[in-house]
Amino acid sequence: MESNEPNRPGNDLNRREFLQNASSFGALMLLAGAVPLRAEDVKPAGGETNYSTVSAPLNCAVIGCGAWGREILHALSLLPNAPVVALCDNYEASFRRAKEAAPNAETFTDYHQLLAKKEVQGVIVATPSHLHREIVEAALAAGKHVYCEAPLASSVEDARAIAKAAKAAFKVNFQTGLQMRADPQRHFLIPFIRSGATGRNVYARSQWHKKDSWRRTAPTPAREEALNWRLSDQTSSGLVGEIGIHQLDLVNWLVNHLPTAISGQGRTVLWNDGRTVADTVHAVYEYADGMNYFQNCTLANSFDASYEVLYGTDSAVMMRTDPKEQVNRQWLFKEVDSPLLGWEVYARKEQFYQETGITLMAGASKLQKAAKAGQTLPPEVTPLQQALAAFITNSGVVAKGVEDFTTNYGDDADALRDYITGVSVTKARRDAAGWQEGLEATVLALKANEAITKHQRVVIDKAWFEV
Amino acid sequence: MTSTPTKPVRRFVKVLNLSLGLATLLALSGHAEDVRYKAQPRGSKVTVAGTSTIHDWTLEGEIIGGYLELPAGVAFDTAKAELPGATDGKLTAKAEVGIPVTSLKAPYSGMDEVMQQAMNAKDHPRIQFHLLEMTLKSPHPTGTPFVFDAKGDLIVNGVTNTITMPVTMENSEPTKLKITGKVPLKMTDFKVTPPVKLGIFRTGDDINITFEWVVAAPKPQ
Repeated sequence: MESNEPNRPGNDLNRREFLQNASSFGALMLLAGAVPLRAEDVKPAGGETNYSTVSAPLNCAVIGCGAWGREILHALSLLPNAPVVALCDNYEASFRRAKEAAPNAETFTDYHQLLAKKEVQGVIVATPSHLHREIVEAALAAGKHVYCEAPLASSVEDARAIAKAAKAAFKVNFQTGLQMRADPQRHFLIPFIRSGATGRNVYARSQWHKKDSWRRTAPTPAREEALNWRLSDQTSSGLVGEIGIHQLDLVNWLVNHLPTAISGQGRTVLWNDGRTVADTVHAVYEYADGMNYFQNCTLANSFDASYEVLYGTDSAVMMRTDPKEQVNRQWLFKEVDSPLLGWEVYARKEQFYQETGITLMAGASKLQKAAKAGQTLPPEVTPLQQALAAFITNSGVVAKGVEDFTTNYGDDADALRDYITGVSVTKARRDAAGWQEGLEATVLALKANEAITKHQRVVIDKAWFEV
Repeated sequence: MTSTPTKPVRRFVKVLNLSLGLATLLALSGHAEDVRYKAQPRGSKVTVAGTSTIHDWTLEGEIIGGYLELPAGVAFDTAKAELPGATDGKLTAKAEVGIPVTSLKAPYSGMDEVMQQAMNAKDHPRIQFHLLEMTLKSPHPTGTPFVFDAKGDLIVNGVTNTITMPVTMENSEPTKLKITGKVPLKMTDFKVTPPVKLGIFRTGDDINITFEWVVAAPKPQ
């Protein structure tokens, strides 16, 4: 962004573009430096200060260096404040590929030894879901900040145990791997939905389509069995648990309610290889206002990949993740008879077959500016990177909060808990899914899997969410 | 007594005289019975309000550490016009106050980090205040809190400036005190460079610090 007149406020941002952005939040985020620009994108003006908005580094360790663990390591390597100091996996051969993104990390096959390292401050648990509980409980007990992948566990009992341990360990930061909750693009949607731009909820629908067997080969039968934990009903909650949980959490967040009952069915249509987990599943989540959310996931067809739609009486909102760049996009489709919101006249639009979608995007005016100036901006940050960045920042906020409090007031555990969970510290944290969101989404996904495997309707008991 | 005191009695009287004398000396010097009010973990608030070319901003914190020492017998009874213990309007008070820079939180993501760098939080992690003098503002209208001019050294970013600010003091409970105050400052007076970004986002030099500090003395046995 160039400026020849440093003293004129709002120089580059006129009212129309503010309206187009529909909220100055994106602009403010940029101006407060929350979206880091690279040095070469900034033209120095008079008296420019060089303060960075990057929070202090947190030494990270990743436990579970499989395919998703490697995605996490790659995302961490793109962050400026997330040095990976340790890796753990019970299968040593995984370190060869894992270390490509973390060449300086010390490797362990026993997570207890990793947790004993004082140097390790934050731990990301990316093992198979049924192995999370033991590791998370040990990590919290060792005083480490924990990022636990979703679903939290493969059983309701384990999920509740993790949530209980996280709640008690208020001196450290706990985050669930529901990365959409940390994405500014999805957050950008919330005011539209809450202000009623969609009208009354009609229903919601999502699909996740990817023709893929999920089966991986390995040099030994023992390793093959361990690697294919997602194909066994003993260790996996299947498509709804591992994949659908993210879409379920998104819908719950948008409508601001949790389902009251779930029905479902599933079958194996293509990958009949002895697996005990369905390759095609359908779940119906019922909500108290009568709305239903229809979730469809399959490994047998790829058409149209994945998206979520919330249909309302005034408009529909569609959400996708761009498959190439892995960034989130969303559009508003208005009904012909819905009230004019005003700003949509200026908004960017995209054509979908016969429908016109209004782009809802945080940071839209920044992109426009760059396009006008012929500049390319750095690649957008993916939801996983946002979530991990939030984990780094929030862990620092909690750790500093504990240090500041105990230095000044000593050992008052009750008062410390009130301070850490209180207004000022919470305000300083970046948006992310905590243990409560993780527990709710995990329990619901597990119950959905139960509905699917038993082909029956499961009524949700709110007591399952209370620890 | 008509008869001469016995030796043990005389020694006792001597010792008594000595200790009384010592007690008087100590009382006069003001050290013996000072009451220390320690910072309490709940109830304190500090706000730093500032401006910029785009929007006003506020940093908020809840940690104010340290202590205040007052002579024994000082009671802030707002129903009285006078403050017992304040001689010629001056209160012999001692206070050491510290606010961790990292406890001040901004409403915008990334702003905390910018503020901490601007204030060199790594090298100077606390805002400190050493009280030098407290003067009671007279007259004190009954029914209102006691107001003082507090003079002291304020240290921010390692730079010391002597400031005077009005503070009010009142008992929220017999052994609990609430001290409130407000002081306008300039960042540059403490060698803090206000952030400037992209030439269009300029932070104003003027800030206002407002605080509410809760301190308590041990309850009498």
